[in-house]
Amino acid sequence: MDLLDDAPCGFLMLDEAARITSVNATLARWIGAPAAGLQGKPVSVIFGMAARVLFETSLLPHLRLNGLVEEVSIDLQRQDGTSVPVLLSGNTADGMIRIVVLRAAARRDFERDLISARTTAETNLSLEQQTGELREQFVAVLGHDLRNPVASMSAATRMLSRENLSENGIEVIRLMQGSVQRMSRLIDNVLDFTRNRLGGGIDLDVVDEPLEPVIRQAIDELRAIQPDRDVRVDLSIQHPVRCDAGRIGQMVSNLLRNALTHGDPARPVRVHATTAEAGSLELWVSNHGAPISAVAMENLFDPFVRGGREGYNEGLGLGLHIASEIAKAHGGTLQVTSDADETRFAFRMIGKRTSA
Amino acid sequence: MGAGPRAMLFAHGFGCDQAMWRHVAPEFEDAFSVVTFDHVGSGGSDSSAYDPRKYSALEGYAEDVVEIGRELGISGGILVGHSVSAMICALASIRAPGMFDTLVMVCPSPSYIDDGDYIGGFSASNVEDLLAAVAANPMAWSATMAPAIMGNPDRPELGEELTDSFCRLDPRIASDFARATFTADNRADLLKVTARTLILQCHDDIIAAEAVGEYVREHVAGSTYVLLDATGHCPNLSAPDEVVAAIREFL
Repeated sequence: MDLLDDAPCGFLMLDEAARITSVNATLARWIGAPAAGLQGKPVSVIFGMAARVLFETSLLPHLRLNGLVEEVSIDLQRQDGTSVPVLLSGNTADGMIRIVVLRAAARRDFERDLISARTTAETNLSLEQQTGELREQFVAVLGHDLRNPVASMSAATRMLSRENLSENGIEVIRLMQGSVQRMSRLIDNVLDFTRNRLGGGIDLDVVDEPLEPVIRQAIDELRAIQPDRDVRVDLSIQHPVRCDAGRIGQMVSNLLRNALTHGDPARPVRVHATTAEAGSLELWVSNHGAPISAVAMENLFDPFVRGGREGYNEGLGLGLHIASEIAKAHGGTLQVTSDADETRFAFRMIGKRTSA
Repeated sequence: MGAGPRAMLFAHGFGCDQAMWRHVAPEFEDAFSVVTFDHVGSGGSDSSAYDPRKYSALEGYAEDVVEIGRELGISGGILVGHSVSAMICALASIRAPGMFDTLVMVCPSPSYIDDGDYIGGFSASNVEDLLAAVAANPMAWSATMAPAIMGNPDRPELGEELTDSFCRLDPRIASDFARATFTADNRADLLKVTARTLILQCHDDIIAAEAVGEYVREHVAGSTYVLLDATGHCPNLSAPDEVVAAIREFL
């Protein structure tokens, strides 16, 4: 029995030009070629293409610079083209390279499984994160959108309670008011839950549809809640505008709610909208009162930012953020000017209509 | 960096790092201001600077070479690139012809994949296999390399940091770098090279064969082509003296 020839590992010796000078019977058998036939050949003959590149670009430099490589995972290639996964170590002495290889198929399968498991886990995690973000955004927007109808219901029950009602009717109204308040709080809770998460854009449903009724509806909802406020509306919508009318209504609602919250209650709030040929739209909401501070200006449109007046129910701070996201989604701008006399949020959108 | 006035920048190829120039670069320190560096993701570089989109093509690496040149205030410098960096350096010289007016391409290939009459040396499926192998076996190109020279008592000048990172390629980046390298087709860029160019070609190079080196010579105007006695893909390691002599002769 020969120590090297029939050893349970492959032995290989290379000269300075990386040609095979000797090879043991075990390695020749794995390759499926006679040992004598391998002698004098470049070492690349025992490797597939990928392993050749690895050997040439990394292992040979290592062997030449450091005289040693250890535990390298690499595939030998049989004469029939199939692979023999091995672990390879080598060292250098006087320019000659000695290499030993051990079969490592099971270990390689295990490594491959680990890598594929990691890839799967990363993919799933990334999908989960995307889904999670969508879900949070959905919940935040849904919660925000529910606020105005709930407020309308609240105002309606208040108005009804002033009517002449039977005792039973008074009790029903009281129950309804309680339910509306509870809904309002539930929405707040849900929004609290997604508070630090919202980000990303807003989807539009863009069609030619009459804009004015949608804007008026948004204004009327808020007027019903604050009937004592002077809201002056000047709409001149003469041309069709290609936009998501529901979203524009939402923007008006958010801007108007903001103006009513922060404006001087003794002075009017104005809503103004004009259109031009080619479907461009300019829409602004203004109020009087204290100007927005320079500090507040910096992150005015960030989500969950609220103005600093205490004891005032200002909502969640999503209104201006969502308004600005709606503006962006329409390819428009939402700009704010604020001085001692007036604060004005102006939305401008250039029409994309090419033919009238 | 050495003391000489003219800058000489050495760029390493795929699979290793600036240590590839260990036997070559010091030979020029007496006459030139010699600079070696690691591409991002290789050797001791800062992997946090890695941007997968930028480095999906060789242009991203070329941009870095130009940035290094700008940072060092190089003008009329010499670029020496090995393997894939031969092409990266060519791209850098095209981007900044005033910065680098001389180019040495060691074992260059403008495109590794065969295409019609052009013989790059690899079929498209070879390259796919190679990329799959890098992806499936990233350790082969990276972490297992590191311990080889750690704690080598004969080389005390190699600090822990350097030994730790020697020829290490970040496994995640190895895949991208392999893809950028082996799927690149910069044949059209060769015609744009205006630098004075030397091409060093080896015998029996399975990665960039002689026909490829000749192709580069034919397409880089006025280039000088030297077929070395050295074999294989890394003459900077296997035959540094011959490489040094050929570059000296050219300069």
